[in-house]
Amino acid sequence: MAERYLILEDGSSYRGEGFGAEATTTGELIYNTNLTGYQEVVTNQIYHNQIIIFSQPSIGNTGISHDAYESILPTAKGMVVRDVTNFSVDRSRRLTLDTYLKQHNIPGISGIDTRHLIRKLRDAGPMNGSIVAVDDAHAFDQLHATVLTNRQVAAVATPKPYPNPGTGYNVVVIDFGLKNGLLRQLSERRCNVTVVPWDTTAENILNLDPDGVILSSGPGSPMDLPQSVLEMIQVVEERIPLFAIGLGHELFGLANGANVVPLDAEYHGSSHPIRRIITNDIVFASQGQGYAVEAKSINRERLITTYVDLINGTVQGLRHRDFPAFSVQFFPDGGPGPDDNRDLFDEFMEIMGSREG
Amino acid sequence: MSKVVVDAMAMQRALTRITYEIIERNKGVENVVILGIKTRGVYLAQRIANRLQQLENVVVPVGELDVTAYRDDISAEDRAKELSAGVISAESGFTIENKKVVLVDDVLYTGRTIRAAMSAVMDLGRPKSISLAVLVDRGHRELPIRADFVGKNIPSAQSERIKVSVSEIDGHDDVEIVHKSDRK
Amino acid sequence: MAIDLTTIHKVLIIGAGPTNIGHETELDDATVQTLTVLKKMGIQVLLIDNNPFSVALEETQPSNRFIQPVTTDNVQHIIEREQPEALIPSLGGILAIRITQELLENGVLADNQVQLLGMPKTTLNQINNPTLMNETLTRLNEPHIETEVVSTSDDALTIGMQIGYPLIVKPIASHYDANRVICDSPEDLYEAVQLGFSQSRFHQCSLEKSIVGYKEVEMVAVRDSANTRVLIDSIENVDSIGIHSGDSILVSPAQTLTDREYQRLRDATFKIAQALNIEGALHVQFALEPQVENYFITKISPYNNRGMALAARTTGYPVALVAANLIMGVTLPDIKLPQNYAKQTALMEPTPDHIVVRLPLWPFQDVPDADEHLDTVMKSVGGTVGVGRSLEEAILKGVRSSQFSPRDVLPSVSGIDDNELISQLIHPLANRVLVLIEALRRGYSVDELAEITRVDGFYFYKLKHLLEIEKRIQDHPMDLETLNVARYYGFGDGMIAGMWNVETEAVRQLAVEGGMHPTYKMIEPTAGEFDEHTTSFYSTFEYENESERLGSETVLVLGRGGNQLGPNTAADYFTTEMLKQLKRSGYRTIMVNTNPNSLSMVPEFSDKQYLDPIQLGDVLNIIDLEQPKMVIVPGNRHFLTRELKKRMTNIHVLPPDQETGLVKPSEVDVSVALFVTDHQVIPVGVIDMLTPGDQHGTAHVTVLRLPAQTQGADDHLVSLAQAMARTHHLRGMVQVLFKKTAEGFEAVGIRPTRLTEIAFLSKATGINWVRMLTRLHVGSINEKELARIKVNLHPDRIALMAGEFPFRQLRTINRPGTSAQEAGAALIFGSADRLGQDILADADAFKSLMNPTI
Repeated sequence: MAERYLILEDGSSYRGEGFGAEATTTGELIYNTNLTGYQEVVTNQIYHNQIIIFSQPSIGNTGISHDAYESILPTAKGMVVRDVTNFSVDRSRRLTLDTYLKQHNIPGISGIDTRHLIRKLRDAGPMNGSIVAVDDAHAFDQLHATVLTNRQVAAVATPKPYPNPGTGYNVVVIDFGLKNGLLRQLSERRCNVTVVPWDTTAENILNLDPDGVILSSGPGSPMDLPQSVLEMIQVVEERIPLFAIGLGHELFGLANGANVVPLDAEYHGSSHPIRRIITNDIVFASQGQGYAVEAKSINRERLITTYVDLINGTVQGLRHRDFPAFSVQFFPDGGPGPDDNRDLFDEFMEIMGSREG
Repeated sequence: MSKVVVDAMAMQRALTRITYEIIERNKGVENVVILGIKTRGVYLAQRIANRLQQLENVVVPVGELDVTAYRDDISAEDRAKELSAGVISAESGFTIENKKVVLVDDVLYTGRTIRAAMSAVMDLGRPKSISLAVLVDRGHRELPIRADFVGKNIPSAQSERIKVSVSEIDGHDDVEIVHKSDRK
Repeated sequence: MAIDLTTIHKVLIIGAGPTNIGHETELDDATVQTLTVLKKMGIQVLLIDNNPFSVALEETQPSNRFIQPVTTDNVQHIIEREQPEALIPSLGGILAIRITQELLENGVLADNQVQLLGMPKTTLNQINNPTLMNETLTRLNEPHIETEVVSTSDDALTIGMQIGYPLIVKPIASHYDANRVICDSPEDLYEAVQLGFSQSRFHQCSLEKSIVGYKEVEMVAVRDSANTRVLIDSIENVDSIGIHSGDSILVSPAQTLTDREYQRLRDATFKIAQALNIEGALHVQFALEPQVENYFITKISPYNNRGMALAARTTGYPVALVAANLIMGVTLPDIKLPQNYAKQTALMEPTPDHIVVRLPLWPFQDVPDADEHLDTVMKSVGGTVGVGRSLEEAILKGVRSSQFSPRDVLPSVSGIDDNELISQLIHPLANRVLVLIEALRRGYSVDELAEITRVDGFYFYKLKHLLEIEKRIQDHPMDLETLNVARYYGFGDGMIAGMWNVETEAVRQLAVEGGMHPTYKMIEPTAGEFDEHTTSFYSTFEYENESERLGSETVLVLGRGGNQLGPNTAADYFTTEMLKQLKRSGYRTIMVNTNPNSLSMVPEFSDKQYLDPIQLGDVLNIIDLEQPKMVIVPGNRHFLTRELKKRMTNIHVLPPDQETGLVKPSEVDVSVALFVTDHQVIPVGVIDMLTPGDQHGTAHVTVLRLPAQTQGADDHLVSLAQAMARTHHLRGMVQVLFKKTAEGFEAVGIRPTRLTEIAFLSKATGINWVRMLTRLHVGSINEKELARIKVNLHPDRIALMAGEFPFRQLRTINRPGTSAQEAGAALIFGSADRLGQDILADADAFKSLMNPTI
């Protein structure tokens, strides 16, 4: 495979071997410490704009599974790994990671000291990088000149509504760049789902007569979205049971008066203990976040903090005091990562159920 | 034949949801007191109180209510005996005067137990309000009583029994439907 | 089951007894760490064990240690006399579990109000009892293999017909661990149940459907009394079910699981931990059905074992230390780990950024009549690990240590013909990994081999890659870029030198000129997310090096690698005691070893650990970095010692080379142990050298007795020995061997004292001779002090040590073994009445004297 380079904003360059697409790419460098699930990670839309460094050194070992996509069209900017395996045992097509990335024009680079990069980013903070064929001055100029879009949600979310019919509760999912795992959980619970674009108005949402509304996860900063989204949330939360995830959770916080702040180091993994405050027990979750609801900004008259990350102290869950509306920062569907929080979907079903009578 | 209809996790979730609903409905926990109806209602009440404390960082008073004396199938003599044994047990200073009382029981069935509980509460003083939380509502009401907070509605036949187990006394948490013919 | 800690002041630990196949030093390792935790809590710990190579016994105060056979009766006596408030059943393997089960049954625990720590009695009763365990799993709705229990051969044959062949037979509540036998026919079944009934405490066997060929995965988790659960590690067996997990190549963490598969196994592990109310560590084994997402739970072990030791070594998560806290009721958020761990490390799920491959080591060289075919009964006696940043690197480093050669060149199996190759692919032998590589070399495809061997194709893909690199190395002699690639994927300097037909030095020179240096990575649980400061490292060839020189006053100690038959568990004891002494003498110690179970790799005993092959190239790389003041090489590494001596001066050989000295081929009856310095010869003991069988040569001495009871073995013999030692160059622990003749005694040899005997002498005389020897080497002992040492050569109490052999597990003819065949040993003390007799006259009586349980 061809020699390629990973170059960083701080001027450093690392030689490796290319895999996947041969394109040049630039993105924000983040690291993911999950042990399993590279496929779920690279297909998660929250990684739009980002180049993902994997801490698990051997990536691609099981190929691409037909049932483990988190989106149809992945938009991650690249993969950085220590070692890549071009192998698959999935059904008859046996799609490998390398082929898959080529199909979706995502470049990868292997043979990189990923542990070193993680230690560097841990201390130096967020940084952009490029995967390039030649690490010359021109490449660095390009890297420094690149401005990444902040219209990420518009880039990945559905432009039109679509249904995922079922016979159960009528649920409207507002798509900011959702993960398929969310739809899987709703399907398992037989919900009748309508996925609507991120900028759908409250009126149009209410017109669908939902039993519940879900604000999905998605990429980027919640502050990059217009005020109208917050207004929509303020209208909906008063009327319909609401469940918000990831970016949706951050928006829910903003809509209820809290601030959202960028983290010193993005966290993507599932090794942090999280305290569930109401029962005072500990869960693990699939986490992926560059922002967090600022704890001290939370108006306790309006919101209750429900989950806290015990390692970095970030708020991981909120609930409205006056309405059946709640949110989590992490991905309750796992994928990749623990199943510990799947029963939040059951809780949501039960909340919708308790409103029926 | 018995069938588990609410497992341990679902039971935890139900109590969690009821807790949040209590906060929602009472605009917080100020002036809220919880009265658990013996036997299993007491443990459920304690768990709800623990959850409220976790969330709000305040201790919500919990009392245990023994409604035997107020049952409508008890003789006057027994009633006097029961009354002298005490209806409520709680920490000293526990009062329902002008409080928002949340009654907690495991199963809501005919409504007679709740009626007795309300009588008992009224005899103790004048609460600001009384609301009712139950883990299971199984229908077949004989009085005009409705729960404010319901863990799970389990429509059941009268020939069935609803068995609630709590780990504090039964070693595990769940709700089962038992056919009466199998009752030993 | 919350324990009120304030009520517990005295705790009894049931030890594991002599090491053997199935349990090496990992239990001693966990016990030592538990002792540390409990002592810090101010708890008095009693320990019963008869393993003379136990470091835990050494760490226990004499008044608290009970060197007795680990039997129900003995444990009962200790309980009744000492009245401990609680008992830990999880540190002595399946033996301790069985004894605790019996103490529950006979009411001793209840009568004496002894609390069980770590798990409730209902859980304890389920261990090794498939019927009870399956009831639990059924209740949990967790898939498992249904078993039928039989107590007669007739029932077995009837049920066998219903289940269909192949099926698996296992004795219920067996005396030993993991005796699963695959039966392909009624004849096999008949034979298996006969054996099984005799091994079962209830004369019962379980029969179950065979799941041979399924992928085997193990999960290690911890749980606290508040039901917080943390998944520590996953371990994948490269060989599928049908080969005992202890004999399989293991990969940690698992590499061929999708996230869905991994999470389902994690969920199941947690569910089981909760249902069984484990407070401590739990190890669960699963069988994954190929192609479909089905799994079965095959074994649940809520006690310390090999899997947990490997998990700790892989992740850097201190499993035994954490488990000891959990057992005592401390919850995970409250556990205080040593300061070098980042805060809340005990509560984080480890996420290693390296791969560990464990390869088994075999007894077949020493027990040539054992069948080398691998099956469901464990045969390996130890293991070595390779750590790397790719599977290639990890497996190659592992193989270089397991298929050990002094010059670091892998053996070849190219001599076998194609039919034999196919046969070995289907019916694996001990040289499994070499045969898999050879098959690829002969052009079998990855898919074909995956089909034939039931090994995941991923591994063949990786092995094939290694062959491609090998080809590249062969095609590009002395090419710097090639050397880079080769080292990156785990090829040793010796291997590369071999392929290039040059000396190792030439390869190293090429690397130095090219500016190529190894980079050491820390083994820690967070993949670099946090600034951890654990003390374990492994080498790779990447960008950033994380290991800095430890200091100027350091000693580099090279271990002996994985456990093998012969003196090896004694060697581990020796090395650990040596490390302790070096620390006392003011040195900081750096350990290199590949044995995942070794006590010497526990951070408590060494300041820094390298998990790297103990081969010349790797060792020189560490020396270049650490610049130690002194290097200690084990006596069995002649080539390495020679090469190191060419390069540096301060090289010591410890444990001593066992092959020096002068011994006539002769029978031997008595030995005199001496501690020899340049100026003094101190008598340490006179020992009966007993040979249980018909052969009486030195190799057959497997029973030692001190003081010697042989007629005439008196002080006169000591003087003879001293005189002989004075004229000989040997220093340190020296033994003079004597044969009894009609005229008296004839000296037949002088040699360094055996490792096993040094351990024996330390326990028997109460003086730690390993430490003395170490001090002699580092020069921290003076003649004046030595002159004051007077060993009582005539103690009243007799000490006896007898070797334990693996013949039963290896299913070979039981016979008196040689010292090279020892898997461990048992130690007892007693009066002259009991132990002074002709104890070997009746073999069975002797056996029950040493180890009455078996």
